[in-house]
Amino acid sequence: MNGTAVEEGSVTDRRPLITCAGELEVFSTFEDSLFQALPQDSCEWRRSLGRPVRSVHIGANFAPFSALALPKGNQWDLIRQPLFHIYWTECTDVDLYKTTVRDDIENWLKELTSRDIPDFLIVVVENYDGKRTNKLLPRTTVLDKIRTDFAPKQGDRCISVINPGKVEARSADSWRGLVARVRHLLLVAYARAVSRLEDHIRQQRERRNEIGWNFMQYFQLQEELAHVLKMLGLHEEALVQYDELDALFSQFVVNGITGESINWLVDFQKPLEKWHGLKLNNSMVLSLSPSLLELRAYLFAKQAQMLLKANKVWEMASRCLPFLHLTTRELTVLEISAPPGAISCWLFLACMEVLRICDKFNSADAVEDYSLHTACLWAYASQKLRDLGELCGLMPGGAPTSEQLHTVVGLSAGMGDNPGAPDCPSPTDKLKEALCSQEAFNKTYLELAELAMCTYKHIGRLRSARLVGRQVASFYVLLGETQTAAAFLSDAVRTFEQDKWHELSAQTQIELAECYKKAKDTKKFIKTCANVAAALEIDTLIRWAYFDEMTKCLQLLDKPLVVPFNDIIKISSIALKSDAVVLQDGMITSELVIESNFPREILCTRVVISMELETKECRKNEKYSKNRTLTSKHFKPRDPLLQRLQIYRHLDHKQDKQLASASVVCKQPEQKRKDSVVAPPKSDFTYCLEIHNLPLVITPGVNVIRLNRQANSIGKYFLGQVALFMKNMHLISQPLTPRLAFEVREEAPVVRLHKTDAPLLSGFEQIMNLIITIGSYTVEPNSKIKLTSSRGLTFQTKPVEPLTTMLEIELGERAPFTSTRIPLRVLADLLTKDHQVSISCPWTNKPIVVKLSFTPPLTTTWRLHTVHHRKFLQINVTSQCDKDIYVEKPQLIVGEFCKIVDRNSNSSQIIPHGSSFSYMWELLATPSAQASTIKGEFSLVYSFDGIDGSKLYKYYFDINEYQTLYILEASVEPTKGSEFCRDGALCHLHLKITSVGHSLEQNNVPKSVMYEVLAEQSVWAVCGRTAGVVSFDSDSEPQTVVLDVMPLTSGFLPLPLVRISKYIPAETSDKSGKIDSHPRLEPFGQGQVYNNSKGKQVHVITGVSDGHIT
Amino acid sequence: MAVCVAIIGKDNSPKYFCCLNPDEELGFQYKVLSSLDVVEEKLNTTNKGTNDLRELYLGMLYSLETHKIYGYVTNTKIKFIIVVDSTNMALRDNEIRSMFRKLHSEYADIVCNPFYIPGDAICSKSFDVNVKNIMTGTV
Repeated sequence: MNGTAVEEGSVTDRRPLITCAGELEVFSTFEDSLFQALPQDSCEWRRSLGRPVRSVHIGANFAPFSALALPKGNQWDLIRQPLFHIYWTECTDVDLYKTTVRDDIENWLKELTSRDIPDFLIVVVENYDGKRTNKLLPRTTVLDKIRTDFAPKQGDRCISVINPGKVEARSADSWRGLVARVRHLLLVAYARAVSRLEDHIRQQRERRNEIGWNFMQYFQLQEELAHVLKMLGLHEEALVQYDELDALFSQFVVNGITGESINWLVDFQKPLEKWHGLKLNNSMVLSLSPSLLELRAYLFAKQAQMLLKANKVWEMASRCLPFLHLTTRELTVLEISAPPGAISCWLFLACMEVLRICDKFNSADAVEDYSLHTACLWAYASQKLRDLGELCGLMPGGAPTSEQLHTVVGLSAGMGDNPGAPDCPSPTDKLKEALCSQEAFNKTYLELAELAMCTYKHIGRLRSARLVGRQVASFYVLLGETQTAAAFLSDAVRTFEQDKWHELSAQTQIELAECYKKAKDTKKFIKTCANVAAALEIDTLIRWAYFDEMTKCLQLLDKPLVVPFNDIIKISSIALKSDAVVLQDGMITSELVIESNFPREILCTRVVISMELETKECRKNEKYSKNRTLTSKHFKPRDPLLQRLQIYRHLDHKQDKQLASASVVCKQPEQKRKDSVVAPPKSDFTYCLEIHNLPLVITPGVNVIRLNRQANSIGKYFLGQVALFMKNMHLISQPLTPRLAFEVREEAPVVRLHKTDAPLLSGFEQIMNLIITIGSYTVEPNSKIKLTSSRGLTFQTKPVEPLTTMLEIELGERAPFTSTRIPLRVLADLLTKDHQVSISCPWTNKPIVVKLSFTPPLTTTWRLHTVHHRKFLQINVTSQCDKDIYVEKPQLIVGEFCKIVDRNSNSSQIIPHGSSFSYMWELLATPSAQASTIKGEFSLVYSFDGIDGSKLYKYYFDINEYQTLYILEASVEPTKGSEFCRDGALCHLHLKITSVGHSLEQNNVPKSVMYEVLAEQSVWAVCGRTAGVVSFDSDSEPQTVVLDVMPLTSGFLPLPLVRISKYIPAETSDKSGKIDSHPRLEPFGQGQVYNNSKGKQVHVITGVSDGHIT
Repeated sequence: MAVCVAIIGKDNSPKYFCCLNPDEELGFQYKVLSSLDVVEEKLNTTNKGTNDLRELYLGMLYSLETHKIYGYVTNTKIKFIIVVDSTNMALRDNEIRSMFRKLHSEYADIVCNPFYIPGDAICSKSFDVNVKNIMTGTV
């Protein structure tokens, strides 16, 4: 057993060897049970160098003791030597022991110690029988003796066991004790051996750069450790050993190329002759001088085994691809020559083997775990198969040459034979079959690629799946199944577009175009050509070529073909130039700025923007643009995942309105699945903005296009889609959002009655303007407008005809948006003020009522002035119109019983606007008891500008109570002793009221008069009485009252105002016979009281307190 | 020495792509694109972890026969991808890491430029030069 002997069983069986000495026949009875019992339970394995304690299962093989086979204690390969030694004896008799057994044990132990072997155990087997129990317990047993003789300090080296052949409770216990003791001691011995092996490996590794060191020898050494660990059930640690070997080898290869050459590496640089498939079952055997492929395969197989034992299928799968890559790299690095295709074969077989193993583990969890790694294996396998197919002329559309057939034979031979079960062929079988015929090859390749794609999709690696799809598509193109290929390619394009990898998508579009061309699918070909031609990433020459192809094919189109804008035409901005509200028949204008990515000019047969009528529900759902222009900012597609989340406050209230919880809620709109191909909905382009000078040439780059349309139907519209028609190819944009909306409105005709700036004057014909404005539509020419006036107002439109109160005006032929002014002569009766005109139009039911207010040209006021008994009448005339008024011939008629004296000049007057003019007459009325009301009639002749016919102005008024009844005299005098009235000093106000009316002997002349002093408070202070009543009974003597007043300032002060009123005492019955319980006051009429001292002043000098005496 | 460097935006669209050999660019684009699958996978699985301080370096995303692809994701989900020739044994994890760190700081510089709109493709010449230097290891 020198480690290089390859024999089935000896390689893997690393169980320690236990030798048995003494009474072997005793042992042989329970050898089997011990053999089985040992590995059944775990045992703690404590190890040096601080490594963690592992619990391991240890088994053992048994062999009879032989002194010759014993190893030396310092040997490194103890692991393969007898490790543990047991001496069995059945002797229970101390005397017998002393005579024979003791010497035997002594010899046995001497052999062991001479070789520094400390691991031994002496087992005394006891047999219980009936007589034993009757005897007294012996003073010393054989066991005690043995212990004192051979292991005085190691009590655990001696054990007694009750013969397990007899089933008894006690014997089971002692049996367990024995097994545990053996296990423990064996492990101690084994651990020592392992650590010695490890030391040896370490030593060997240190020498790896020495000349003569051989990797393969070292490999076997370390693999032995791996075997040991594997035997102990420590698969992961065994894996570490293989990983170390793996890394060591890789490092040698790296160093081999970078640095000094390594002798033993030359062995691996032999040309490859065999490329047998990787086998992951236990039968893997490494030859003495393996090729690189064999060594690598062996290492991987071992690693895979360990991983599978540790139940890590996924890790095995994950290690496969790096392993294959590493191997291929090492093959190139070491310049190992191989027939073409051999490596591919090997790689393919390895992939398939790993996948086959994975397939065995088909629990859901495992599949989930390893799918992540098998997907790329499927892809790799399909790739390798394809390489082989290309090499061997198996690709569709070709036929293998004889040379290629020869290659196939060579490859198949190199693969060796590895027949699988008939129902599940081995990878080798599969590959051989696939290489045999094109049909089988196609089938196998497509199957693998399909699996690769499925697995990629399953694990969510869509992009990788698409890349495999591209490969498959090219295969399908070769097969002539262009439709299938196109499906794969368009999937790929979509994915690339989603990620905005434009160059990739453009490249794929080229392939797609070729595909459609082969399939003779003109429509799709045109679409794809358009996309390719517009792809900026592609070489201009290619774009031109596809553009030309596209234009050529356009001639063949007989039906409209809708092509979305995508990146072909980009809308830079779109602006509504007309107002948001367009009147009917007005122009809707918009400016469209587009960027054409076509490499050449295109000729558009029609350019339109559809106008869509707004409906109620779309108003709610759609976003509207706030301004009149959409720019490229608006057209940027929004990634729903990058949108701001809509987060709201959420409060939960308890039943008693208390806050139960506060939280935020994200009302995440449901993530809509992005539908793969959303063809833009083609709107109805019958009602749209257009351009009129067609055809329009759109140059590459920016184009500004103005589109317009007459708004001929009313409603609310928004701009729908932009479309460029190139014959039957309709390039159509996405619906424009946010929406650009506008409204088309109609305007009804309007009739208005306008007056001129000046106020309307009554009694005098003036011109008003009737304005008729026609709106957005024409009105029936013979429809009539009817004007009706209120009483006292007349009008006429025609200059000569008489004025009427009702008028009908025919509209006549009038264009929309025109307005006409019809002058309307209006005359309102003098002395009337408010009028209205109602206009009824044919287009509305409701008449329009225009309120007019007229003012007379002149207003008149009159006043009566009294001087004792003489009466003067003042008549004040004020002009109300803004023009100057010429007045002349004032005349006053008051009746017979009163004469008047004219005090006016005879000349005519001009009264400007706002000014007034007064006339004065003296009334010569004899005071009489029967003085009745004077009826006054004032008349005046007036004219404007003195040119127009003069008109007579009349004013009527009544004059009542004009006879003087009382004369009032007042004077302020200083108090007695004072010479002057002084500021702050008390003065007397002498009031004298003379009744002059009693001579008329009228009954209605009041006898009692009340006086009141209405002094201005800042000037006069009235001290004491301010009012009083005086009565005139029969005598006409004047009544004098003295009141105390005090001037508050100095200077010439007007006298305090005194007012007298009629005093009607209580209990006098008035005319109606009613008895008043309260006295009341009645004012005197104008002209009944003459205040003699009106305007009189008194000189008040500064008070004495000033210190000045005047 | 890296053979290809790519910067990919948070929407997975390429923002910058640079190859030592421009003829191979298309092939690398495919490779980098498919590596995004792995980036997404790694981001999704690390998100489940509780550690807040995410390691930006994602390690090797996947390997091909000829190339190894490494990934790095900033906190704003900008992805940096470096493709390395797999025969190049001199490049260890640490070298790759430091390349990523340099790349990140270059990227941060470009984003700081007020004339660069984040999300646009990077077409700065100096950035190009700096990245090429990082790739060839002359920085």
